[in-house]
Amino acid sequence: MNFNKNKIFDILVYIISFSFFIALALLLSGIFFQTSLNLFIKELKDIRLWNSIFLSFKISFIVILINLIVGIPLAYILSFKRSKISFILDLISTLPLTISPLVIGFAVLITMGSLNPIGRFFIDRGIKFVFTPQGIILVQLIISFPFFVNIAKTSFDSIDRKMLDSAKTIGASSFDSLFKIILPLSYNGILAGLAMSWSRSMGEYAATQMVSGVIPNVTETAPIEVFVKTGYGNYPAAIAIASILMLISMFSLGIFKYFNYKTRTNN
Amino acid sequence: MKLLEIKNIYKSFSGKKVLAGINLNIESGEISSIFGYSGEGKSTLLKIICGIIKQDNGDIMLNGKNINNLEPYERRAVLVMDEPLLFPHMNVFENIDFGSKLSSNKKRHINNNRNISKSTKEIMELLGIRGLEKRYPDEISMGQAQRVSLARALIVNPEIILMDEPFSNLDIISKTKVRKLIKDINNELKISMLLVTHDIEDVLNLTDKMFILNNGKIQDSGKPKDVLKKPSSMDAAFLLGTENIFEGIISEIDEKNNSIKIKLLNGKQGNSYIETDFQGDFEINEPVFFVIRPEEIIILREDRQTSKPVKENHFLGRIISSVFTSRMMEILIRSEDALEFKVLIPFHAYEVMNLFEGKTVNISLKKSAIHIIKRKKPIKF
Repeated sequence: MNFNKNKIFDILVYIISFSFFIALALLLSGIFFQTSLNLFIKELKDIRLWNSIFLSFKISFIVILINLIVGIPLAYILSFKRSKISFILDLISTLPLTISPLVIGFAVLITMGSLNPIGRFFIDRGIKFVFTPQGIILVQLIISFPFFVNIAKTSFDSIDRKMLDSAKTIGASSFDSLFKIILPLSYNGILAGLAMSWSRSMGEYAATQMVSGVIPNVTETAPIEVFVKTGYGNYPAAIAIASILMLISMFSLGIFKYFNYKTRTNN
Repeated sequence: MKLLEIKNIYKSFSGKKVLAGINLNIESGEISSIFGYSGEGKSTLLKIICGIIKQDNGDIMLNGKNINNLEPYERRAVLVMDEPLLFPHMNVFENIDFGSKLSSNKKRHINNNRNISKSTKEIMELLGIRGLEKRYPDEISMGQAQRVSLARALIVNPEIILMDEPFSNLDIISKTKVRKLIKDINNELKISMLLVTHDIEDVLNLTDKMFILNNGKIQDSGKPKDVLKKPSSMDAAFLLGTENIFEGIISEIDEKNNSIKIKLLNGKQGNSYIETDFQGDFEINEPVFFVIRPEEIIILREDRQTSKPVKENHFLGRIISSVFTSRMMEILIRSEDALEFKVLIPFHAYEVMNLFEGKTVNISLKKSAIHIIKRKKPIKF
């Protein structure tokens, strides 16, 4: 057989990627070898497990809803109104990506605490962010927001500006442009952004832990439940939740990749 | 009636002046064109008219109303660009119909002073794109797409259609077709159009009036034929690709007999003179340029007595090259005193007169066809 340089290159690339993939798969699926099927099913019947998963679902759903409402205008500014202000907005909205989630959770905990004037302001009006689901929504919003905005902005960026200009002269106001051209054209990008920020929100642990106070059935989200169960030494229960979380991630990543791929082939 | 008045428009981009005081008027129902080199700010001017770019200074009046502060969607000046820019998520019908569904246009249709609004179907018929309704933009040809783009502009019944090099991406057959279509639309709908182009063919084929944009200013304007024959400055002449440009000094002016005599400075500087019809505002000894279009130079037949108009400005010369262009023979003739003339004659005339490279011929420059251009600086020798 004749091995030229290109063939060797291909073989190397495949070997490295596949060995990494197999290692990762083994690592993640390894948790299933630790438990028996009976124990696993028994744990799946525990109501507290499902409460934590439903809470995660509920919170992440609200989080992506807010992302959608606030993220589209922000992505619009970042993509279409390039100025100094948009630069600062870009900086601020991307910042959570580079800050440790633990620090974000800690900051919210302190700011919204009763000793802080901002926290006092909300507490006086009956809105509590510490040890409540609202607090979890707040930190998860801060953390998942950049994912949505950046993906939405990228898909807005790919829209032809000259086409929008010509639409304007035909009689399209900014509302028309957004709802009839920009949003339909970035449909896939927005869905991809939602899937990404949703899975980020589903899996968030560190910041959530900071503000949740770990109150069973109230602020105990699925990832926290995994940690709590591990702490008690109840591995089968932890494994049951972890495996469900993993399936959810795989599913939402699949959605993300699918729409992201479609966006790119469309343009 | 004046439809569009552009008054003293200035525009700079990061310190570089692009438009330096543009003034022009466009009559209702006409096709006008702005002609100039690429990068001279022609497109910028169109974008200013439709409101996509704001001018630094100056006014734009549409129908006597100042539209400076109107948003693009309120202006009724539609821009058609060199690319069709169709909405990729809509089919052809939805693309064309886009404008008629917008609230800004629905309001217009109620109090429309030009009530020739046509239905989508009628416009598609007019542009010869019926049958494409269900296709998507990536499934039609460039020529078809450009027609859809035009239909999309027509549906909103605008006051004026601004076209930015609309033919530059089309092949020669589609180009001819779309040009004819634009002419037909103009005839049928009486819609005013302003075309920006760097192709003189577009100007000559389509437009009633042309403006030459050079160095940020309108340098020349008028009927394309007149501007082409009689450019007002050398810049304009060069821009229009004028051939047969000569230098000379005015030696005699005789207004009574309708004649000006110019001493030629090109060639061997013999005693060649040329006579033209009287043209105003020149002085004796004034250095000038003069031009004559290649198709206005007559090659005299050897076997016939010359008739009166061709007795003017005779030169004896030799054909040094002849090239067959798409429609005409392009001949280069060098005279005895080394003047070079480019001459265009129909191919059959070339054959009938038995012309060939190296042949000696007599040529005549029609008096009335010579156009004198003022020269600012004196020539130094």
